[in-house]
Amino acid sequence: MYMYLPIALTSVNYLVVMGLGLAVGLLSGLFGVGGGFLMTPLLMMIGIPPTIAAATDANQIVAASASGTFSHWRLGNVDFKMGLYLLIGGFVGGAAGVQVIKILRASGGADFLIKMTYVIMLGLVGSFMFVESLHAMRKSKKRSGSAAPAAAAKQKKGGFFAALPMQTYFEKSGVTHSALVPLVLGTFVGVLAAIMGVGGGFLMVPVMIYMLRMPMHVVVGTSLFQILFTCIEVTYLQAYSNQTVDFILAIILLVGSVFGAQVGTVLGKKLHGDQLKILLSIIVLAVTVKIVLELVMEPSILLSYAGGH
Amino acid sequence: MKRMFMNSARCALAAAVVFSGLAALPVQAAQALTCSVTPNTIPITFSYHGAQLKITGRSADPDDLIVTITSEPVDTALKYKEKVGGLVWMKKGTLEFKGAPRIYMLHSTAALDRILGAVEREQHLLGYDALRGHIRIEDSTGSPADEKWFDEYLKFKKEEKVYDLQEGTVVRQHGEEGNTYQVEVAWPYQAPPGTYTVAVVAARDGKVVDRASANFEIKSVGVTAALSKMAFNQPGLYGIMAVVFALLAGLAVGAIFKKGGGSH
Repeated sequence: MYMYLPIALTSVNYLVVMGLGLAVGLLSGLFGVGGGFLMTPLLMMIGIPPTIAAATDANQIVAASASGTFSHWRLGNVDFKMGLYLLIGGFVGGAAGVQVIKILRASGGADFLIKMTYVIMLGLVGSFMFVESLHAMRKSKKRSGSAAPAAAAKQKKGGFFAALPMQTYFEKSGVTHSALVPLVLGTFVGVLAAIMGVGGGFLMVPVMIYMLRMPMHVVVGTSLFQILFTCIEVTYLQAYSNQTVDFILAIILLVGSVFGAQVGTVLGKKLHGDQLKILLSIIVLAVTVKIVLELVMEPSILLSYAGGH
Repeated sequence: MKRMFMNSARCALAAAVVFSGLAALPVQAAQALTCSVTPNTIPITFSYHGAQLKITGRSADPDDLIVTITSEPVDTALKYKEKVGGLVWMKKGTLEFKGAPRIYMLHSTAALDRILGAVEREQHLLGYDALRGHIRIEDSTGSPADEKWFDEYLKFKKEEKVYDLQEGTVVRQHGEEGNTYQVEVAWPYQAPPGTYTVAVVAARDGKVVDRASANFEIKSVGVTAALSKMAFNQPGLYGIMAVVFALLAGLAVGAIFKKGGGSH
């Protein structure tokens, strides 16, 4: 039942850890998020030091997102072209974000600002998604499945975005955008993700749905494709510069998460896009409430090791 | 500055008492105090989940005994949380806990304050109050931090299971071979690999009259040791191995699921 972790220097019940992997992998396959926001604090709760929890989680996400990307690709749900543009933007943004955070940290009191921005952002994104998908579900019930309104809504946009140069057709998503749009949005999410110390799936998914107007199922596959590359980079850098990746912990986690990701993909296929959106928005709102409670309530222990979110 | 000086003087004194052995102690014990610990080497394998230590030895009849298990003092930096803007709890900065042992476990034959006076306890680093005077807490500017952080430190370490104090757990027996004592200690798996010192102190009339000590070692072996060595000595290779393994595992399970008809 117990297994000793050579880098975390602690012993864990491997059934519990596998269960955590399964649950987070399920979310990953279903919504296209990495799940680090959930996994890192859970690992810390079972006694893994924060820096090792965050780095090892990235290693586990490599497996879960490879598994998820593979099955979404088979289902034709990965827009590689869009993913690549977002990825390039994300890398640039991530590097810029690391510099921004250095400046912010030096000026002091930045942590407060970062946490608040994070909470407000998650709260807004979650509420917006919830209301919007509820609205869409009601509408589609009334019109009994007519696709016309969605198409009309798509046509309505344009304006500024349509006037940009380098207009490109993204076949898998069925949308036309200037290549600059995913590049800039990817950079934006990359900066925020680096500042907040999270993978960014939670921000990238809504950006793809609402700003890039991609269909929900393609969003999930494309987001996983992107997360895969981000987490490969993070795992390698953490192992190389900080020695914080626990290989054994990662293996136990990924045994659960790769299966979870498969189940999530299958389950996602059975759900309607709006149902997926509403579920995701509920999770985003629950995470927001959890963070607010953590911030407001007095912690039982006021000291901790450095690292973590 | 004065406090720092006093603290360092106290440290030096405590260290002198701990490490110079028995030279300074009056030899009044009828039977010399001994100490041994089994096992004296504990291997960390995959299934390691802590260990059961047995500490035994001989002692003089009327003496009370205090057994401590400690490691070399180290400096530990920890983040601390405080209320910001009267509303939210945030990590505000770093506190340095200087000269604090990673592990501090104490067992005794009776209540510590009944066995020894405060001065003796302080001098021999016995009990949490003695540690309070010994561990220096500094903020990032190097100035001494509020005393309340020692209580928080204690809470943190107890939660980690690496600080523990149990009175009345050391059992004495009178047999044909003389007077012996014994205590069983549940060694926490949270304690990192390293060499630890078991020290036994005999007390009579509120004074320390004899001392004995023994060491034991916790060390990684086999695959656990090899992985940890690789992570630190060949971090690049270790990183590539972690990534490649995760990728292969993910793709393999993806392929198996498809073949097995899981998605259709």
